[in-house]
Amino acid sequence: MIEVSDLWKSFGENQVLKGITLTIPKGQTYVVLGGSGSGKTVLMKHVIGLFKPDKGTVMVNGVEISSLEGKALTEARRVFGMVFQGAALFDSMTVFENVAFPVQEKRQGFSSDQIRAKVIEKLRVVDLGEEVLERFPAELSGGMRKRVGLARALVSDPQVVLYDEPTTGLDPITTDYVDGMILAAKNKLGVTSMVISHDIASAFRVADRLAVLYDGHLAAEGTPSEVRASKDPYVQKFLSTWFAKQ
Amino acid sequence: MIFFALEAAAWAVRPPFRPLLILTQMAFIGAGSVFIVGVTGTFSGMVLALQGNYAMKQFAAEGYVGGSVAIALARELAPVLTALMVIGRAGSAITTELGTMRVTEQIDAMDSMAVNPIQYLVVPRIIASILMFPALTMLFDALGYLGAYVMGVYVAGIPVGPFIEHTRGFLNPDDIYHGLFKALAFGLVVAVITTWRGYSASGGSRGVGEGTTRAVVASSIGILIVDYGITLFAVGT
Repeated sequence: MIEVSDLWKSFGENQVLKGITLTIPKGQTYVVLGGSGSGKTVLMKHVIGLFKPDKGTVMVNGVEISSLEGKALTEARRVFGMVFQGAALFDSMTVFENVAFPVQEKRQGFSSDQIRAKVIEKLRVVDLGEEVLERFPAELSGGMRKRVGLARALVSDPQVVLYDEPTTGLDPITTDYVDGMILAAKNKLGVTSMVISHDIASAFRVADRLAVLYDGHLAAEGTPSEVRASKDPYVQKFLSTWFAKQ
Repeated sequence: MIFFALEAAAWAVRPPFRPLLILTQMAFIGAGSVFIVGVTGTFSGMVLALQGNYAMKQFAAEGYVGGSVAIALARELAPVLTALMVIGRAGSAITTELGTMRVTEQIDAMDSMAVNPIQYLVVPRIIASILMFPALTMLFDALGYLGAYVMGVYVAGIPVGPFIEHTRGFLNPDDIYHGLFKALAFGLVVAVITTWRGYSASGGSRGVGEGTTRAVVASSIGILIVDYGITLFAVGT
């Protein structure tokens, strides 16, 4: 489904990614763990074609997205939904307009009633009712914004959903809720998911496969139990910050 | 910036076309600037009439005030002052809005939804500017001349006949076209600079602030340079 091969990226003198290779099978949830500034978000933005690699390729459904430009890239992105760290809701639009935006812009021939029904359906998936439809993002709490962001990512029934730090800044109950939504998106909708996070508990809860990113390369990669058993010193230290407390 | 402008031009001719977004931006840039451009135009005309009367009176040529004001407005003052007013009101807002969208990842979000942000955000603003700058310039022309008429005829006491007749004699349609062409060029320059500065903003709220300042300064200088270039090309040395 998604294949990243020998991906290198630098910004000026700062070499952020140093030969990342990973595969995300269809229908699975793949979590990339790592500390702040480890390059997780840069890696994700390569997957959706927001960044161009210095070297290496990103294949999505057999299409090399890293080499596409302009309209071809725009078309290739139709398989994606993305949940941003800060939700990235359009602040000049209401919740309804935000969630409806991908469907309206993809111009799949839905009537306005059908679009409204899809919006309400996806908001229900994230446990939000019709009372939020006419609210603006500034009138929502952080957790509600995340949920609206997820509804917007899911509304056009994407094959792949990318989550950028979905639980950062959330209280434990809302974090648990977001984890549940990620699992529900996989189990109920069958989407392939890539999650970027530094939340170890959340990562082990939702992941089918895990990778730990450190200093531009993958320090560990595999199933959650394989990564948990990694002998890499950084991985052991990183994971102990959570497992040692359990 | 040139590549950015060329990319916007390429996206402008590709479907889907979004007339509603263009109309929204026309309302913001055009209708929203009517008051400030109207006030500026009216007072500029009034001041020109008083200054013109003061100067021309020494040669007993007050009757030429209407014509000279009309030419000054049509060829130079209306397009330049309109552009400066719109830069301050709408241009800065465009940079701030797009810059904020950039640093809060709203533009990335749009990209991720297979919607090209240049086509969705930039193209409507450029088209709206190109259309509205000439329209606002015409408003400036009309209210400026009206202000000059009121001050010249009713305050300075210039006879109506010479005031109107010399305007008819001096002012050609080409003078008005000259000013409107400038306004069109200014609309393009201002829209490209302000959208580019916002679109390429980085560094959080401070970066947005810096981008807005640079956009306003570059746009203001840019229109004066373009004004010189068009005038030199049109009338020579």
